Amino acid sequence: MGSYLALAGLAGLAAVERKGFLQAMLSRPVALGPIAGLALGDAAGGLLVGAPLELLWLGSVNLGAALPVHEALGTCAVAGGAILAGRALGTGATPATAALALLVAAPLALVGRRLDRLVETDVNERLADRAERLCSAGAIAAAVRTNLAGLALPFGIAALLAPLGAAAARFVVPPVLRALPGLERPLEAGWIAFTAFAAAAGAKALRAKGAPAVFLSAFAATAVAGATLLFWRLEVRP
Amino acid sequence: MTRVRPLTLVRSFWRGLFLQAGWNRRGMQNLGFAYAMLPALRDLYSGDDAARQQALARHLGFFNCHPYMAAAILGGAIHHEERVARGEEPPAAPLLYKQTLQGPLAAIGDGFFWTALRPFFGALAAAGALAFGWPAVVVALTIYNTIHFALRIGMFRAGYLQGDAIVGAIARLSLPVAADRLRLGAAALCGVAAAIAVLVGALTGGRVPAILAALGAVLGFAALARGARLLPAAYAAILLGAGAAFAAARLGWSP
Repeated sequence: MGSYLALAGLAGLAAVERKGFLQAMLSRPVALGPIAGLALGDAAGGLLVGAPLELLWLGSVNLGAALPVHEALGTCAVAGGAILAGRALGTGATPATAALALLVAAPLALVGRRLDRLVETDVNERLADRAERLCSAGAIAAAVRTNLAGLALPFGIAALLAPLGAAAARFVVPPVLRALPGLERPLEAGWIAFTAFAAAAGAKALRAKGAPAVFLSAFAATAVAGATLLFWRLEVRP
Repeated sequence: MTRVRPLTLVRSFWRGLFLQAGWNRRGMQNLGFAYAMLPALRDLYSGDDAARQQALARHLGFFNCHPYMAAAILGGAIHHEERVARGEEPPAAPLLYKQTLQGPLAAIGDGFFWTALRPFFGALAAAGALAFGWPAVVVALTIYNTIHFALRIGMFRAGYLQGDAIVGAIARLSLPVAADRLRLGAAALCGVAAAIAVLVGALTGGRVPAILAALGAVLGFAALARGARLLPAAYAAILLGAGAAFAAARLGWSP
């Protein structure tokens, strides 16, 4: 229960940080994953999930009225699910638990966007009306304080949904891996393929002229250099 | 009082960090802007409730800008409110200032911070994390926030001290040029991250995961370029990758 409460608090704070307060990248997946992992006692597991999700959602930005997917909610749910499933299996978060947790909980990022839209159109417009009424009545301190009331729902929505997503993964993933132990290695390969795909998604999201050529060149150059280095090390120190 | 106290400026800047707390479709960041302005308006109209109320009502109108760049407009609006309080400008001057600058600065901020600087450091942190672990994340976020806060504080200060002249100061930063370079740098870092995934696959599982990772990067990019949706494509990468690895193992294609 303590793990779910910690995850709820963290997801709520991240939902606030990503838009309502600060925006210092603390709610981005690459930071939030390890922080969630730290809160749940498996920082490495959180980083395992957070780094690929950062690349996957690199283009998730709030431009004007266009809302991105709720990457902070998605990250907390997936990282929390992978770690709690790993804890139940006694292995800690692994690529296999991460892959299955993502399949179970990632759609929450889309649900979060839909709820964000609802909050900003319906609820926050009422806050704006209230602020104008209070200002007209001379209660100017109360009028501007309505701004802070806008933090409550994003906090509450993420604090509710992230533990639910993590719990779903926690209860789905261990039985699957116990029933089909032969899936562990293929899922590990699937997670590695996903990580490379996420990097491609990040490059695609940049929408920069020349980005495809730069992405593919850097990919090929690093892969060849890394493979050469590995081969050389194996040859020299078999 | 016709000047805002230094401590009040700090309070207004701090409150400006909550600019988007009450973001709404009609007024967008209007609640946040009024929230940030109130400490300054209290200083300027300390003995005149009606003038203070009128000034606050001015800032409850529509406002939308990039949250970092809005710091410049917040500082500039305080600058203009001081002039209004001294009788040097009409009360509409701060509004005109906001209306003139919010669109251009939003475009510059979105283009530089949201689609260039943050993705660059996100990609740097992610690629670094895959290669070196959490210290890379700490380093990337520290550098990002050093730049972020230096610009945010600097623009607030410049807006307050220079008022309308802030436009020239921001133009001299050449942010759109830097943004183009950062986007290409981020694309290169994504390529490095994909290659690290291939190498990790080779080291941990042999040639099958390495080949699947390479296919995930190249075919994934091609699929997204042809309009594939992100999350379904991510599901496909995991499931096809796992399925192919499973089939390879059944066929005896060992590492």
